[in-house]
Amino acid sequence: MVDLGVTSYYLVNSDEIQIKIVQGAKPGEGGELPGHKVLPPIAKTRGTTPGVGLISPPPHHDIYSIEDLAELIHDLKNSNVHARVNVKLVSEVGVGTVAAGVAKAKADVILVSGYDGGTGASPRSSIQHAGAPWELGVAETNQTLLLNDLRSRVVLETDGQLKTGRDVAIACLLGAEEFGFATAPLVTLGCLMMRVCHKNTCPVGIATQDPRLREKFAGGADAVINFMNFIAEEMRETMAKLGFRSINEMVGRVDKLELRNAVDHWKAKGLDYSKILYRPNVAPEVGTFCQMKQDHLIDRSLDMRTILKASQSTIEGGQPVTIDLPVVNTDRVVGTITGAELSRINGPDGLPDDSIRVNLVGSAGQSLGAFCPKGMTFTVEGDTNDYCGKGLSGAKIIVRPPKDSAFVAHENIITGNVCFYGATAGEAFIAGVAGERFCVRNSGVSAVVEGVGDHACEYMTGGSMLCLGKTGRNFGAGMSGGVAYIFDEDGDFVSKRLNREMVKVYPLVECDDDEILTVKNLISDHVKHTQSARGQDLLENWDSFSSKFLKILPEDYERVLLALKKAEERGLEGDDAVQAAFEENVAAGH
Amino acid sequence: MMLFKRLSKKMWPPVINTNLTGEFIMGKSTGFLEYERKPIPDRLPTERVKDWNEIHEDFEEDKVRKQGARCMDCGTPYCHTGMTLSNMASGCPINNLIPEWNDLVYQNKWREALDRLHKTNNFPEFTGRVCPAPCEGSCVLGVIEPPVAIKSIECSIIDKGFQEGWVKANPPQSRSGKKVAVVGSGPAGLATADQLNKAGHLVTVYERADRIGGLLLYGIPNMKLDKQIVQRRVDLMAEEGVEFVVSTEIGKDLPAKKLIEDFDSVILCCGATKPRDLPIEGRELNGVHFAMEFLTKNTQGLLELKDITAFETAAQGKDAIVIGGGDTGTDCVGTSLRHGCKSITQLEIMPRPPEERAEDNPWPEWPKVYKMDYGQEEAKEIFGADPRKYLTATKKFIGDESGNLKSILIHEIEWKQENGRFLPVEVPGTEQEIPAQVAFLAMGFLGPEDIIAEELGLERDSRSNLNAEYGKFSTNIDGVFAAGDVRRGQSLVVWAINEGRAAARECDRYLMGETSLP
Repeated sequence: MVDLGVTSYYLVNSDEIQIKIVQGAKPGEGGELPGHKVLPPIAKTRGTTPGVGLISPPPHHDIYSIEDLAELIHDLKNSNVHARVNVKLVSEVGVGTVAAGVAKAKADVILVSGYDGGTGASPRSSIQHAGAPWELGVAETNQTLLLNDLRSRVVLETDGQLKTGRDVAIACLLGAEEFGFATAPLVTLGCLMMRVCHKNTCPVGIATQDPRLREKFAGGADAVINFMNFIAEEMRETMAKLGFRSINEMVGRVDKLELRNAVDHWKAKGLDYSKILYRPNVAPEVGTFCQMKQDHLIDRSLDMRTILKASQSTIEGGQPVTIDLPVVNTDRVVGTITGAELSRINGPDGLPDDSIRVNLVGSAGQSLGAFCPKGMTFTVEGDTNDYCGKGLSGAKIIVRPPKDSAFVAHENIITGNVCFYGATAGEAFIAGVAGERFCVRNSGVSAVVEGVGDHACEYMTGGSMLCLGKTGRNFGAGMSGGVAYIFDEDGDFVSKRLNREMVKVYPLVECDDDEILTVKNLISDHVKHTQSARGQDLLENWDSFSSKFLKILPEDYERVLLALKKAEERGLEGDDAVQAAFEENVAAGH
Repeated sequence: MMLFKRLSKKMWPPVINTNLTGEFIMGKSTGFLEYERKPIPDRLPTERVKDWNEIHEDFEEDKVRKQGARCMDCGTPYCHTGMTLSNMASGCPINNLIPEWNDLVYQNKWREALDRLHKTNNFPEFTGRVCPAPCEGSCVLGVIEPPVAIKSIECSIIDKGFQEGWVKANPPQSRSGKKVAVVGSGPAGLATADQLNKAGHLVTVYERADRIGGLLLYGIPNMKLDKQIVQRRVDLMAEEGVEFVVSTEIGKDLPAKKLIEDFDSVILCCGATKPRDLPIEGRELNGVHFAMEFLTKNTQGLLELKDITAFETAAQGKDAIVIGGGDTGTDCVGTSLRHGCKSITQLEIMPRPPEERAEDNPWPEWPKVYKMDYGQEEAKEIFGADPRKYLTATKKFIGDESGNLKSILIHEIEWKQENGRFLPVEVPGTEQEIPAQVAFLAMGFLGPEDIIAEELGLERDSRSNLNAEYGKFSTNIDGVFAAGDVRRGQSLVVWAINEGRAAARECDRYLMGETSLP
């Protein structure tokens, strides 16, 4: 879910935040928005470059364990304490066990998705041959949650081509209490299931950006309302027949479901459905539907204890404030609740830079400054854990070793894995080495760091990254936008560490003077903020080091930048120039 | 083994196109945005009424390919479905693989398109000319724009096939030794004969008229379906081993029981040829004819190179009235115009359909909208107006002293609901006498004739059609099948082909115990 264009303002305005672990129609696959569909307005909402394709890879690069997922749930809850956090799983063998973990990871809602849904953008092979029906997943999930007495703390939702009130009734009796619809309402809006959502040629103007086709859209909200009324009415009739007054009474009452023996299809013969219709024998005090809220431990956060209160007047009035605090690694998601409040009140543009300065000394816990907006500055003297600056949307993060530390900063880890993951804006100065997956899916942050682990800048779509030291392997895999500058001291970056699939490499010295100056200024800023010895050394001996700097630029991104430059040379400005560049790009067949 | 046989025969090699990355592609995804619907154009009305040649021009390959490019390769196509919605066909009743051959034509793979077309359709040269094209009515593109010109593409594929010499006699490799008699040589009879012959049975087709073709020959005038095209297909089938016996009416010239004795199976495809009459005053006057009488005489005359205007049915120099607003009515209008009638009026009891689909007639139903068929177009060109009078009924035919039709009395009606049924009620004061020396009754057909059914004791349904369940086609007599209009009642050529093919399959199963016919 920490995807392209997710900002603090975006999160704070949501009612429910879904972490899409996997999709029902194409389990185990990601999505891809081809470049010709990334029109300027789409690029704007997604925080990317028009004309450059967007890849949503199947894995979440910030989730490799259930603990990672628990952290993301916690981070998102901090980003908007009023929103429910929903985790989307799909129906498969063992989904019950996964769901039990997700319930313990404190998701508010668990969605078990079936295989019948999906838009036409899903590959045909997956639509027709992958996944499992929601009935199986819901039954297993409900049973497992009941057996572990977890059912009463989560809402169980299902989707995957629910089309009738009867579907809803069955889903409810199998254990779900919320129900998702997409294909059927789309059809009421005029969708003809053309299966061309990815081609930009949707003839009824739904899944297309083509103005000629969007004109053909003939649907209206009333059709959807009508459809949902029918669903509700049919559900009500079924409930009346079965004698239920509310959904909660009905959830998980598999005893009300009867197996149809009339099914005599040869493939169905000999199948035993009794496990689907099994109701675990649990103690009477075990809740069978969602009866209580998850305890997200929001009150224990550093924000609720001090930062939010200390910055309240700044958020409301704008007077700058500086907050000095010690920090320990149990202080997770520092600043995020305050940042959310700042966004809620001040809108997407935040506050002037450095309005709220948070100076921390010690070892910050996970997700320092996650999603924090413009106007906040975090300075950590010590170190930070994983996910530092995740989803950063305008704030500044400075991490430097204690002044009296004895080690060499650019040879030692100072911040954990997955820093600045999915960040959309802001600045970062890290006087030390970052862990793996640095700046993955970054779309706008300008980061300076003195060394990174493996897979840095993977799927990056914008922003910049300057690394003053060694990188790990697989640098820039799937990178479709933004720029990276690497100080390649040993000269083996390109041959050993770069993933060259989508990027081009240029020596910095061959770039124009403006660009060289930009890099130099970044180093100066880095030195100014962190007193980095490494930075100082590079600046002092610039003439001998500058030839070792490399510029990494994605090919598609470069092409669009060139088109944009050409448009600007023709005298076009702003959105017009962007549109012209996009059109040139599409016309060239990209 | 059976499965392999089926696969190897019908589905292999599959015609699948993929792009460089292996993604399945079909058609030109933006074709419908780039090209407009342009069916094969008709000749100018004023020109074409001067002769009896087909009304449409020859196809142009490049133009037809663009029409193929308009096909959207729908994820959920309807053109091939052949459903019945609101009692009308929606999508192709013979399940033509339309998106596939649209794409093949676009890709200039005409030979493959022809093979694909022949898989489901024995006679595309007929349907490509005379079918009302329910496929186009259900075409998904029709939701937003004029639909793909499917009928023109179909016609072009088969015409090119014949031009290039790709359509050749292909007699079966081996014979089963079974003999089947087919009664009637209309589209159902020909389709069933063609299929059974392919399965190796010896087929004899009996036709009471002097030539093979049934309604294809005498029911549809030459300008819509050139009789040489019918004969071309009949010749091919004869070359493949189908035996044709003309001028032999079963039940009259040859007892039906004799067929049952002489053949292993009999398939009745003798149509629903009993016309609906108009039993009003003056019906007996000279000059009042059934449409089929008129059209048959006309085509017979043409084929025998006689002076068609010399028949008593001829419309030359007369005020002609056509009663009935269907396809046969249109054919009477077109034929009368070619005779050189003095005036033409077509009476239709239904209201004028709307210009666009009504609320209760949504896509993909057959669109009940106002259309100008070729006959009306020509009449409008010559006499300045659409010849159709809607909501009009005939009260009586008025004759002169020698018993010849002089005029007819018509009046307007309105439809009123009584006991749940809509009935036409005369609008008072709208009576009108219009001159008429010839009138053609084109009000549809009631059902099959009785002679064979009575001789064999065949069961009939409530509408007098032969009682044979769709899908099984077997009558109450073992080994006797019924297909086409004789079973279904008057309908489209495509339904006749559908039933003929399916009855052949069931007959093959009956004869052999199993079948590989589709």
